[in-house]
Amino acid sequence: MPRNRHRSRRLAADLGLLVVAAAFVLPLAWVLLSAVDPHADLRVRIPDGFTFGNFDAVLTPDITYTPLLNSLILCGGATALTVGCAALAAYPLSRYRSRLNRPFLLSILFATSLPITAIMVPVYALFVRINLIDTMQGTILFFAASQLPFAIWLMKNFMDGVPKELEEAAWTDGANSAQSLVRIVLPLMGPGLAVVTVFAFVMMWGNFFVPFMLLLSPDQMPASVSINDFFGNRGTVAYGQLAAFSVIYSTPVILLYVLVARRLGGGFALGGAVKG
Amino acid sequence: MAAEEVVPVRPTAVSILALSLVTAAASLTACGSGSGSSPDTVKISFKQSTDNSIKVMDTYLADIKKQFEKEYPGKKVELVPIKAPDSEYYTKLQQMLRSPRTAPDLVYEDTFLINSDITSGYLKPLDSYLAKWQDWGQFVDTAKAAAQGEDGKTYGVPDGTDTRGLWFDKRVFKKAGLPTDWQPKTWDDVLAAARTVKEKVPGVTPLNVYTGKPVGEGATMQGFEMLLYGTNDGTTDPLYDRTSKKWIAGSQGFKDALSFVETVYKDKLGPDVSDALDPNFGTAVRGELLPQGKLGIDLDGSWLPQDWLKGSGHEWPDWSKDLGLAYMPTQHGQAPGQVSMSGGWTWSIPSKAANPDLAFDFVKTMQTKANAQKWYIANSGIAVRKDVASDPSYTSAQPGIKFFTDLVASTHYRPAYPAYPKVSTAIQEAMESVTTGDASVDKAASTYDSTLKDVTGNQVVTQ
Amino acid sequence: MRQAVRQPGERSVGHPVIGRRLFRALPLTPALVLLLLFLGGPIVYCAWIAFTDLQLTGQAHSSFVGFANFRAAFHDDAFLNAVWLTLVFTVLSALVGQNTLGLALAALMRRASKPVRTLTGGIVITAWVLPEVVAGFLLYAFFRREGTLNAILDFLHLPSQNWLFTLPILAVSFANVWRGTAFSMLVYSAALDEIPNEIEESAEVDGAGGWRRMWHITLPMIRRSIGTNLMLNTLQTLSVFGLIWVMTRGGPGDRSQTLPLFMYEQAFQNSMIGYGTAVALLLLLVGSLFSVVYMRLLRTEV
Repeated sequence: MPRNRHRSRRLAADLGLLVVAAAFVLPLAWVLLSAVDPHADLRVRIPDGFTFGNFDAVLTPDITYTPLLNSLILCGGATALTVGCAALAAYPLSRYRSRLNRPFLLSILFATSLPITAIMVPVYALFVRINLIDTMQGTILFFAASQLPFAIWLMKNFMDGVPKELEEAAWTDGANSAQSLVRIVLPLMGPGLAVVTVFAFVMMWGNFFVPFMLLLSPDQMPASVSINDFFGNRGTVAYGQLAAFSVIYSTPVILLYVLVARRLGGGFALGGAVKG
Repeated sequence: MAAEEVVPVRPTAVSILALSLVTAAASLTACGSGSGSSPDTVKISFKQSTDNSIKVMDTYLADIKKQFEKEYPGKKVELVPIKAPDSEYYTKLQQMLRSPRTAPDLVYEDTFLINSDITSGYLKPLDSYLAKWQDWGQFVDTAKAAAQGEDGKTYGVPDGTDTRGLWFDKRVFKKAGLPTDWQPKTWDDVLAAARTVKEKVPGVTPLNVYTGKPVGEGATMQGFEMLLYGTNDGTTDPLYDRTSKKWIAGSQGFKDALSFVETVYKDKLGPDVSDALDPNFGTAVRGELLPQGKLGIDLDGSWLPQDWLKGSGHEWPDWSKDLGLAYMPTQHGQAPGQVSMSGGWTWSIPSKAANPDLAFDFVKTMQTKANAQKWYIANSGIAVRKDVASDPSYTSAQPGIKFFTDLVASTHYRPAYPAYPKVSTAIQEAMESVTTGDASVDKAASTYDSTLKDVTGNQVVTQ
Repeated sequence: MRQAVRQPGERSVGHPVIGRRLFRALPLTPALVLLLLFLGGPIVYCAWIAFTDLQLTGQAHSSFVGFANFRAAFHDDAFLNAVWLTLVFTVLSALVGQNTLGLALAALMRRASKPVRTLTGGIVITAWVLPEVVAGFLLYAFFRREGTLNAILDFLHLPSQNWLFTLPILAVSFANVWRGTAFSMLVYSAALDEIPNEIEESAEVDGAGGWRRMWHITLPMIRRSIGTNLMLNTLQTLSVFGLIWVMTRGGPGDRSQTLPLFMYEQAFQNSMIGYGTAVALLLLLVGSLFSVVYMRLLRTEV
């Protein structure tokens, strides 16, 4: 009996999940099918033909290459900065006891959840004042700062998981903290580092509001903004091209995610890291 | 707990960190060098059409750039197109004007905004350049005044003006049994024709009146002001009292104009409200609805044909056969009988421009008689230079030029004072709320009155 | 994160003298500088501009105006409308939508067969990983008058609608559920994984039915995760801009204009930077409030 019940319960669960999956997959199906449909419109349907014409049309420097390169510089630079600073900052927080640790971590946690959107208007005004407006480096610095709290928080938690005894062995060999961070701790928390890196990169890659506010010259715009300028004009949009561009623009982050998720057995590491 | 599944993977972790620091350093230094502008390059910002196939201005400027670089060896022109719907273009432009890093050397400014931007100190007075420039004498006085600040200085060189009227589709009118030499005498005539189209020609939008914030200044000027300025005898400004220098609140004309907009959308004579409130609706009207015969009457500007000329994206050689033109009548047909509004754009030099002298040299190249004339024809503009206006090759270049040029005699200009852009936004909000049916005409008008007080610093007179 | 509680002892290595402490805190410097300059700076600046009448255009000099912006906000119907819509958007999409659906998915996944689990998880997570603007376009296409949703409704002979026009706030809320559910799902999956199997099994032996077991045993055991998740969802949703901007730009009228869009419109399209910033400050305060609650939920962690 119990096995029967077990099976019917599994069937019910499968069914429930499939219904949700079907609802969730529709918009995704639209973008995939329209990208290769020579006569794409706004609804999901089997293409009446197959073409790479949409991809050909958008694979030009103006529409695709320059914005993607800009995205890469912005997000790559900012991710690198975030991960570097977070790794350094997490070390003393995780390793030394200090009366300042708790207030500092609390502020970090507090900053983690601040709505960044809200400060974009003053950030714009400030950037005009200090002459960082419309510069890649300014935008990278802001991006990095906005991701730092969460990155530090994650990083510290991952670092706490590296047993201290391993480091102590190195210390007795005369290694200093910097050496033990680079040689012992970071290698041991590889997966954690990967999670932080990918998470920061994915968040920035998709961010629209920050570059929309801080960059002005069209030739510096990352893909998140340029796609809106190019395709946001619904009147005469070629939907197939929009879909093709969306596919190109989304692929890197999806690949990155898959890469990390496979290493860590599902994306559940992140879920575990943020839950209470 | 991810941290518990830790597996030692040395190479990855260290290389990620190393790579990250190198990339960060590299990208920061790489883009650090990119800023700073060269003294030999003149940067020019203009509004690029949101219709990807329309390149009228791009083509024209590319041509001038070639001439300029030939004429001034060693100098370079960098074109910085801003691709956005009207309302967002102004925002982007103002954002750029605020900082010397982003301020271009030459910008394309709509005259309704110019006083507002002058007050903000964004623009440079051009008087010293104009005094030494012979061609300035060729400009008509109204055009010179359009770019004048309250301080009496001139801040822009206008590249044409425009007028407004009713475009109607003769193909649609024939099917509806309406005359193809249609000329309405009152607002009711316009509505009656639209009702006939609605009844007789299904599938066609009978009448387009631009409305709402997404459309921006186009809604205020092509839509609302074309109505409002026809509610009185045409001798005074119904928006701004020029003697007391105050903005007018609570006028009956304001409510009547709103009622007209309300009727158009409530009685489904206009486009679908969700389309009308799309920021790119204007692009769709010019590129699709009119050419495809899907719009009966369009209250719009004189510049429409620029999209239909040869080589400009939506070629439509028969437009002058398919479309008719009529004056916008006054409310009850009272004198002067017809209404038009005029605006236009100017080339201005930002006060934070790096190379103002070179920028003015570019204006001079752009404004030789030959180049100016080329532009008037390319963008279906109305000439503000006397030498071009009297040139027969200009007046006969396009059907419609005569119709719209004749309107210049009786046209109205916006009270484009510094507060005007905000007043205009308030008008758009009032229009939008009656368009969607979210507010009654009275409610929308009273909201406008109170907003007016806020945005003008209480410089308001109630009628 | 229970390990986090255990601070590694430091007594074995040297005396904690001031110099040593500073030296140890050295690695914190880059992060600290970045945070102070680019996060702290703007917040302070925000608090300053919010009390001025700074404008984007039409103004020669800005001046200090005290609480005028805030007074104006609370008398501004458009602001109150934005507050109301933000509330609707947050409750509908974050509290009800993402949270419930995420929990349901996580619970179902524990029982479902592996292929179905992988497939569903993959699809839901893809929606989450997609760039904001792309997600906006996809859902714009989905909800548009000639889009997929109406095609399906027509097929089922149900009345179709111009969703983005008649019920834009509902459409953008659904969009946010579509985009954000994966996060809740991941959080709850992790939480449910920690419940020892024995507890569930013994409850089953006692004859407790599925719903009762969920209500009396599972939910109480993961209540901290629920609290955390609700907070994070709320904070996330409070700052959604790109999704709504791409789908409706806050329109038609102001029917989907949540606070971030209202703030942007006031500051830039209406040129009232001071006023827009005052709204931003209010949004920041609301966010901080939630943030503090979130920290209390986590307080034993640090």
